[in-house]
Amino acid sequence: MLAIRNALIHTGTGETISGGSILMRDGRILDVGGGLDIPSEADILDAAGAYLTPGLVEAHGHVGLADEGVGWEGDDVNERVDPVTPHVSALDGINPRDRGFEDFLAGGITSVQIKPGSANVLGGSTVAAKTGMQATADRMIINPNTGMKAALGENPKRAHGAEHNRAPYTRMGSAAIMRDWLFRAREYLKKREQKDPKVGYDAKLEALLPVVRGEVPLRIHCHRADDMLTAIRIAEELDVLYTLEHATAGFKIAGYLAARGVRCAVGPSMSREAKVELEGVGFETAAAFEKHGVPYCLTTDHPVVRAMYLHMIAGKASAAGVGDEGALASVTLRAAEHVGIADRVGSLETGKDADMVIWNGDPLDGRSTPRAVIIDGEIVHRGR
Amino acid sequence: MRAYRGARFYPVDSAPIDEGVMLVEDGKIVGIGRDIEVPANAEVIDLAGKVVIPGLVDAHSHVGMWGDGEGDASRDGNERPGPITAEVDAIDSVNPHHVSFQSCREGGVTSVMIHPGSGNAVGGLCFAAKTRGEVVDDMVLKAPTGLKGALGENPKRGGEGKDSPKTRMGTAALIRDFFARAEEYGRKKERGKDPDPDLALENGLRVLRGEIPFRVHAHRSDDIATAVRLCEELGIAFNVEHCTDGYMIAPFLAEKNVVAHVGPGLSSRGKVEVANRDERNAALLAEAGVKVCLVTDHPFLDVRYFMAYGGVAQKHGLSFSDTLRALTLSPAESIGVEDRVGSLAPGKDADFLVLAGEPFSYKSPVLSTYIEGVEVYSRIDRRGG
Repeated sequence: MLAIRNALIHTGTGETISGGSILMRDGRILDVGGGLDIPSEADILDAAGAYLTPGLVEAHGHVGLADEGVGWEGDDVNERVDPVTPHVSALDGINPRDRGFEDFLAGGITSVQIKPGSANVLGGSTVAAKTGMQATADRMIINPNTGMKAALGENPKRAHGAEHNRAPYTRMGSAAIMRDWLFRAREYLKKREQKDPKVGYDAKLEALLPVVRGEVPLRIHCHRADDMLTAIRIAEELDVLYTLEHATAGFKIAGYLAARGVRCAVGPSMSREAKVELEGVGFETAAAFEKHGVPYCLTTDHPVVRAMYLHMIAGKASAAGVGDEGALASVTLRAAEHVGIADRVGSLETGKDADMVIWNGDPLDGRSTPRAVIIDGEIVHRGR
Repeated sequence: MRAYRGARFYPVDSAPIDEGVMLVEDGKIVGIGRDIEVPANAEVIDLAGKVVIPGLVDAHSHVGMWGDGEGDASRDGNERPGPITAEVDAIDSVNPHHVSFQSCREGGVTSVMIHPGSGNAVGGLCFAAKTRGEVVDDMVLKAPTGLKGALGENPKRGGEGKDSPKTRMGTAALIRDFFARAEEYGRKKERGKDPDPDLALENGLRVLRGEIPFRVHAHRSDDIATAVRLCEELGIAFNVEHCTDGYMIAPFLAEKNVVAHVGPGLSSRGKVEVANRDERNAALLAEAGVKVCLVTDHPFLDVRYFMAYGGVAQKHGLSFSDTLRALTLSPAESIGVEDRVGSLAPGKDADFLVLAGEPFSYKSPVLSTYIEGVEVYSRIDRRGG
């Protein structure tokens, strides 16, 4: 049993407890509050008034798939042979020894959704994992299938298209491919259920079944507002769950998104505007989403922006109009909700995983750093 | 005349001034201090509770040259093919109406040195500009300010055909050969032999004559050492751009008086040559006595986040005053424009920032950016508030 006392606790649910304590055992939170009785058998860590937050959650990253500083040999982000590769899974590409995981711990991030890249219209299954390095990726997994990566906009056109002499050449081409495969998966599901002997196993369609059954969302990469609207159009037509990933120009259609309650992972907001579709990238979208009530979270898209800056990005969003409470929620509980793992992580509540960070200053300040990062009740990283 | 009164001023080249006054006339600072008398005719701007620092100076930038949502059509940083393109001048690629200049003003960057890219072993001339204006020639602070060179991965990557360089030693040999030819060209000219005009060799001569330094892109420690070796051999002034592995050989660089342009900050380990990127680099270099300038390499770090980079450098050990200097006066000196910018002192250009509070806190955004006494950015006027 471990107890942390005398902390300025931000629970992630909007509550702040000064001089608070938190009690954990067997990797779970037993209790959190102001005047807790700390059992005599507990190891006690005195936070000396420091900030304590939930372990941060990165809702969109490629850690483990994009081995850093290695070159093509370590690049396992996009299976670019074909715009339709739903049958691959991020789980099979994760190198648990990628140095990128160190960045997550250095930034106080304890959970991450790892996704295939956005070169393909249907890119493969996404997973949720803890960031404490383990011998195998499987041991880090929270949920091995949190969704199906999909992409609209520039990337599928560039990875395929004119240069490679194959579809999609255009935005409408990408949309048609997405629509076509979802219709086929729906048909496939029906025939499989009817045990139609003429329909044999198809790896790609099989991988899309959780989507058309409504079990997992499409996680649709889109930057421009029109690409976001195309994503919504297709998902509503096919009646599948979906989230929007990046949502760079979201400020232009914030009211529309709020009315539908569209979940958006916004970012990377500090990235360079390398592509045409990134025009206007910044913190305007986070501010507009906060104002309109769009359920959003913030992301680094690691390694596009290094995960260790997620807390600083939240600070930037705060200064841009999101406010401190919204900024913290957007990298903890709302990010966990985006990924679909809020039953386990994202806030400091009884019964949840004991994932938390003691900071040496205001967690939203880029100059602050984790003093201790705790995953499943164990200290996995110590800072200054 | 205007009097900016009541703020805490960080002049950088002198001690901070609480509740100070800064007088500005005709775009120049004419007085700064605590007990400065405000002339009766001066317009007084009350900045009580605010903080004023010099406009930031970014010694390695590609603003106006590529990136920022414009795609291939405006990619004008690397003249390819050919590993030696010393004849080109960055000023001919810069579009003052590019959104990146607006980003500079928003991020508090008032002076930049704009480099050609690092795709070529010798890439062309750099120049320094203010970040406000309609015509690039009117924005020039100094031109040229250096000749760009590059070692390591980038020049190799450019040579996909049959030509050199294919290796690091190939790149070094090309640079040696270029300067040897420039020297010979110069000798011919001196002897009145009138060689065929060669713009590339003319620019090489400017470096050999000590008119401008060679500004060498190098990330890996061995590439940095190659830069030192080459430039010492050639007897030319130089500095190291990026200097990513500098911390590994910091005492060596201090001994050689190398100026390090460290950056882009907040950047990934995207290439093999930056695999050992360490956030403590700037701090460890400074500790060893190396002169450090922080740089954005915009668009590689969006110039709007230059201050945030300063905060991160500080977090990893660079002192507050060293950080402020690395964003202002040190780069001004490295560019050779410290008579005009980089600190708040009488006679210098009135390029300054008004911050909401102490520098480097997320709660202290840039409220106003001034260039030569003119407010060129105001947070209040920004779209969306």
